[in-house]
Amino acid sequence: MEEKKPVIRVKDLYKVYKVGDTKVRALNGVSFDIYRGEFCAIVGASGSGKSTLLNMLAGLEKPTKGEIVIAGEHMETKSENALVAFRRNHIGFIFQSFNLLPTMTAVENIALPLTFQGMDKEKRTKLAKQAIKMVGLQKYSRHKPTQMSGGQQQRIGVARALVVNPEIIFADEPTGNLDSKTSEEIMGLMRKVVVENNQTLIMVTHDNHLAEYADRIFHIKDGKILKIEDKRLMRQTGT
Amino acid sequence: MKFRDLLRLSTSNLFKRKLRTILTILGVTIGVASIVVMVSLGLGLSRSVTEEMSNYGSLTSVEVRDASSGYYYMGEDSQDVDENKHLDDDAIEELKALPNVVDVIPMLSIDVMIKSGAYEGNYITLYGVPDGYLESQNVELASGTYPSENGGVPSILYGNMILSQMYNEKTQSGYWYDGVIADVDLMNDPVTFILDQDAYWQYQVGETGEDGTVPQMPKKHLFETSGVIAGGPDEYSSYSYYMYCNIDDLKAVLKRNFKNKAIPGQPTTKSGKPYKQLYYSQLKVMTDTMDHVSDLQKEISSMGYSASSDAEWISQQQKTMGYIQLVLGGIGAVSLLVAAIGIANTMMMSIYERTKEIGIMKVLGCDMRNIQGMFLIEAGFIGLIGGVTGLAISYGLSVTVNFLVANMAGDMGISGGISYIPLWLALMSLVFAVFVGMLAGFFPSLRAMKLSPLAAIRNE
Repeated sequence: MEEKKPVIRVKDLYKVYKVGDTKVRALNGVSFDIYRGEFCAIVGASGSGKSTLLNMLAGLEKPTKGEIVIAGEHMETKSENALVAFRRNHIGFIFQSFNLLPTMTAVENIALPLTFQGMDKEKRTKLAKQAIKMVGLQKYSRHKPTQMSGGQQQRIGVARALVVNPEIIFADEPTGNLDSKTSEEIMGLMRKVVVENNQTLIMVTHDNHLAEYADRIFHIKDGKILKIEDKRLMRQTGT
Repeated sequence: MKFRDLLRLSTSNLFKRKLRTILTILGVTIGVASIVVMVSLGLGLSRSVTEEMSNYGSLTSVEVRDASSGYYYMGEDSQDVDENKHLDDDAIEELKALPNVVDVIPMLSIDVMIKSGAYEGNYITLYGVPDGYLESQNVELASGTYPSENGGVPSILYGNMILSQMYNEKTQSGYWYDGVIADVDLMNDPVTFILDQDAYWQYQVGETGEDGTVPQMPKKHLFETSGVIAGGPDEYSSYSYYMYCNIDDLKAVLKRNFKNKAIPGQPTTKSGKPYKQLYYSQLKVMTDTMDHVSDLQKEISSMGYSASSDAEWISQQQKTMGYIQLVLGGIGAVSLLVAAIGIANTMMMSIYERTKEIGIMKVLGCDMRNIQGMFLIEAGFIGLIGGVTGLAISYGLSVTVNFLVANMAGDMGISGGISYIPLWLALMSLVFAVFVGMLAGFFPSLRAMKLSPLAAIRNE
């Protein structure tokens, strides 16, 4: 695995916000590599810069300085429309508040990214049905989001992120709006998906316990990476 | 993103907020209806004025007269007039070859005297026209038939004002003197014609001619009547003052009557001698539309003919009508402007409401142009539905107005109604409504396109 090129390479990343006259360094020189098939958790307290880091990796925000290379492409130089196109084809996204469109059924919601790609209705519905089967909600295909529980909605959210078969999936506090039992279920599901499909998943959370599901844990504080824990090594050594 | 998916997304967004969509559409409906109704009133007005004008003469023809006949017209450009251009069959062929010319109608005319019982009329123009001409000009008859070829003896169609030009020879009583209309039944009473009026007056005075001949009473002709043009004694139209017969009949009778003498109104050689041939006294050059009349007149004049038309008067009238339509359309446009602001407002509201939704779409990779397109389609759809309903209402109003006007003024001669919606107006208003809708939605759509995707990440 180590010989492989990284899926994500971040080098000397800075993000500076201006709040009034004072400059706030949300990210203060961050560098790391992430490889294919890894499940990484970015953990930190509120205001540590973890969300900023995720936003920049997903191309939702521009870095002040530094490089982000995803699947061989530089994100920091892309125009907004190019970033949108990049996300459309390479990235899946799981939100904290699920963010399903209320007027659409579960399958239509899952198929939405494919719709944006311009895929035929027949084809995208077929793929969406495969994805909904993967998260175990076939029975709810024709339900609207309001007719489903939070956990079910997030399962649909996971399916939506998976349906385009992206290089990377980003998850922003995916269990933030769920109770602990459902959270465990969702984490188990994401873990399963990563292993089965050899997907790369990057999750942001403030919950150290949930981060335990990941292969590697990035601890972040005041815009800097404090340490990177490798759970695989720990599991191997049995601690 | 496929256009069909975009369309589906947009329409479902409109359906989601039914009441607001309906209210916005209502605004457009009122705007479109007011524009269409206003313009239709202008068009109806202009149409009835045009119909009115066509009673005074053909609006699509140019009259060509013999340059040496001594007729002059106001506004006529006589610089190019060629004294040697006479109106014969060659001239007809020449004029027919001009662009936009549909037909050339030859006419022969002579001023004659008519007598019936105690009544007589002087210097009344008798026109010889080809068969079918009067029918094609939609001249309405009160009785009888149109004149047709009658073997060299003209049968006469009388204008409805002929009787008012006749007076009683003995009492000098006449329509223009004391309002008493000549008591002649043109259809049944015999009417005699004197074609050579000069000779008649010379005979009356008893004057001896230059060559010493004693004047003779000129020949009287008894022509049968074919019909009378519809209308009262003072109801003017361009046909009411004149008499009409077949042109070949008139030629024949003139040749017989005058033999070798000069026929009044015919061109003569420089020495005053008549030509052997009978020339037409005027040609009516018919063109296809009013717009071509003015250019055609100029072209014919430049060829050396003496040409005249109602073009200038018509264009003046059209200009006035254009202003009226502009003002009426402008009034309607104000309400459509208000409707457009309504659309813009609705779209802005919609964007604020859907900030998160738009953010999600952007995170999930929806192309920015698709987002803009979605809002433009929504705005255009509001315009389209508003346009269709507005148009339907306009047709309803138009029918109602015309019905009411027809009831009130049915016998005032207003035909076709005062509101008139031609197909082009209907189509234009639809296109315009969609265009205005999209224009109103354009800036909101730009705004939607530029919204930050971070809105989707924020948690409320």
